[in-house]
Amino acid sequence: MMRSLFLFDMTFWLYLAALGLYVAYLFAKRPAMQLAPAGHPIDNIEEREGAWATQLGQVATLVTVFGWVLNTLALTTRAFERMEHSGTFAPWSNQFEAMAYVSWAIILGYVLLEFRYRIKAVGAFVVGIGFIAMGAASLLPYRYQTAEPLVPALNSYWIYIHVSVTLTSYAAFAMAGGLGLMYLFKERAVNRGSQSRFYAAFPDLETIDELGYKAIMLGFPLLAFGIILGAMWANYAWGGYWSWDPKETWSLIVWLIYGAYIHARMTRGWEGHRAAVYAIFGFLMVIFCFWGVNFLLSGLHAYA
Amino acid sequence: MNGKPDTAPDSTAPAPSTSRLGWEEFSREVVEFFASIKLAMFLFIVLAMTATIGTVIQQGERPETYVQEYGEDAYRWFVRLGFIDVYHTWWFTSLLGLLCVNSLTCFHKRFPSVWRSMRQDKVSVSLAFIQGMKQQATLSLNQSKESVAEHLVRLLAEKGYRVLAKSDPGEVTVYATKGIMGRVGAHVAHLSATVIVLGGLLGSYYGFQEFGVCLEGQTYHIPRGNFDLRVDKFWIDYHENGSVKSYNSTLTVIDQGTPTATKTITVNDPLVYKGIWFYQSSYGDAWDQIEAARINIKEKNSDKIVATVDLEWNKEKAVEGLPLKMKMTDFVADFAFNSTEKKVFSKTAEHANPAIRLTVDERSTVQSTPWVFYHYPDLFEIKDSAYQFEFIGYQPKKFTGLQIARNPGINMVWIGCTMLVVGMTLSSLIYHRRLWAKIVPGESGVTVHLGGTTHKSQIDFQKEFKKLTEKIQSKT
Repeated sequence: MMRSLFLFDMTFWLYLAALGLYVAYLFAKRPAMQLAPAGHPIDNIEEREGAWATQLGQVATLVTVFGWVLNTLALTTRAFERMEHSGTFAPWSNQFEAMAYVSWAIILGYVLLEFRYRIKAVGAFVVGIGFIAMGAASLLPYRYQTAEPLVPALNSYWIYIHVSVTLTSYAAFAMAGGLGLMYLFKERAVNRGSQSRFYAAFPDLETIDELGYKAIMLGFPLLAFGIILGAMWANYAWGGYWSWDPKETWSLIVWLIYGAYIHARMTRGWEGHRAAVYAIFGFLMVIFCFWGVNFLLSGLHAYA
Repeated sequence: MNGKPDTAPDSTAPAPSTSRLGWEEFSREVVEFFASIKLAMFLFIVLAMTATIGTVIQQGERPETYVQEYGEDAYRWFVRLGFIDVYHTWWFTSLLGLLCVNSLTCFHKRFPSVWRSMRQDKVSVSLAFIQGMKQQATLSLNQSKESVAEHLVRLLAEKGYRVLAKSDPGEVTVYATKGIMGRVGAHVAHLSATVIVLGGLLGSYYGFQEFGVCLEGQTYHIPRGNFDLRVDKFWIDYHENGSVKSYNSTLTVIDQGTPTATKTITVNDPLVYKGIWFYQSSYGDAWDQIEAARINIKEKNSDKIVATVDLEWNKEKAVEGLPLKMKMTDFVADFAFNSTEKKVFSKTAEHANPAIRLTVDERSTVQSTPWVFYHYPDLFEIKDSAYQFEFIGYQPKKFTGLQIARNPGINMVWIGCTMLVVGMTLSSLIYHRRLWAKIVPGESGVTVHLGGTTHKSQIDFQKEFKKLTEKIQSKT
């Protein structure tokens, strides 16, 4: 067994633990948000939360960061293993590695978000998606998990940049999807006038909405860049920059879907609920583009 | 991206004085429609939906394939709707064209105001305008209006804002703006759509894409480039575990009779000569030629193998110790016989039923040209001959499949792509912010009315705005 697989396994368990801790954190929170004037959250965390919840939150963050470090290590180890076998190192050269990379990017995005905006409740959703990505990777049959040498079509320096950029955009859309889901949860609670402590730690609707929008604003140009890099690669490998291959077409479809979203945000009535539902829908399309196309539709990308 | 009804007092459209439907009004309506975000959304969604068709239904297959899978009626509809080549139908192309029109009209309608606000902006606004903004604050300071204004201007300038101040009798108005490049970026991205589509059209009208099956050692004329291409060698490299590492062809360009360029191409590394690209695309065993064949010669009487000979392609060989001369003249990979034309041909390119044709000269008396089969050694017998020939092995001749393409639109496409990425990145990362402050002197000190607006990144702007108000407050 390869050393990297052990590290990927450890990452999986740590992400599971982190998810559990974030959910526990939500339950442990005291419903004290009402005391803060709208738009001006209290800066002193101790004041807002029970000490118990604060500690849980800190542990959750710690475990997440540790998991992410292990994820990084796993990918690096895999890169070395690839180097030994085939002379290329991109640790995102098959479905398994790609999934592991996506969860790495999702968790990194989440950690940055938490440090910047100091909102922990998002972790229950976004770390959840990162965990699911990692879990889906480890459910793949063993033969998908090993570092087989690349087929000639993939053996190119383009794989380093095209694949990583595209996968990073998927990660951004995954975050947006998680935030969309969170929005719907919170909205339901608000509409019912729920006093459940579970929702106390959630940021207000507007913030969730805006964070989701930001994630898409990041993913949208990244996906465009990724598709264009793919076109440049295709121009070197397949004899044309665009050949309407299913994967190509689906990534364009995903891009168009988010293009509609970006434009919709400019008009009234497309924030909030609709945007959240749309972000979840978009993320489902990303999943289809990433998984469905590989397993259901044939095409030039059949190897990835 | 700039369609959000701006709260800024840009009085660009004066109300029409006449109510009749004049040309002006009509053209404004048309511009309004084609520049609308609704149209953009509609096109994005419709393009996304129709693009799925081609990923579900195989494109460009033979009619039989569709009939077999979907039935005859469905196939007829597919043809009528263009579903078997969706991306080149008139309606799909029109949708792309509409998208271009949409983005260009948007540019035409909205860019001038962005351009104007890059140079000059309206400083004076009403108090009600400031108080109606999403971000607004009212501060009371114990200072003169001049020092507050000075402080505010310096604060904003330090943050990278472009600041304009206007001193009216009784009050000072400060206007600050930042991040207009975000809006410019959106327009650059809009223009890129047309550049990319034009590049694509240029390529499809003046470019070509062909596939060539080339045998080692042969020279082929490339009429589109008016030069020759010689295939020197084709080979495959393997990894240690036996999987393929790379497919390689060494090609030499012969221009005006002299070899001018030689390159070994691999899957990711094409040869480019005079704008024509040669790609390593596939390979295989030729179906009408082989390198060499091995033949067992059996004596009919004794039923014993008396000799084994290796024949090279189209070269006569005298068999040692036997009164025989042999030559291999034809090869088919998948033997088939057309009985009306009396012709042998290869049914497929697969080596399913390989056969060679020999020319046998036996003691200069018996002359025959039998077909011998790899899989069926006893199928035919040459009547007058003393020997039986068995085709027991062969060395196939490899062909290399080259994709040959020229695309004169490609640079335009790359320019468009660069514009798209740069424009989108600018518009995502930079957001346009505008702040107004009215400093009104009161009984003791001044009252500052501060208001700000942005078209996105509300929480970041909210933070910035809060910090700013704190800083102004802390001055006292």
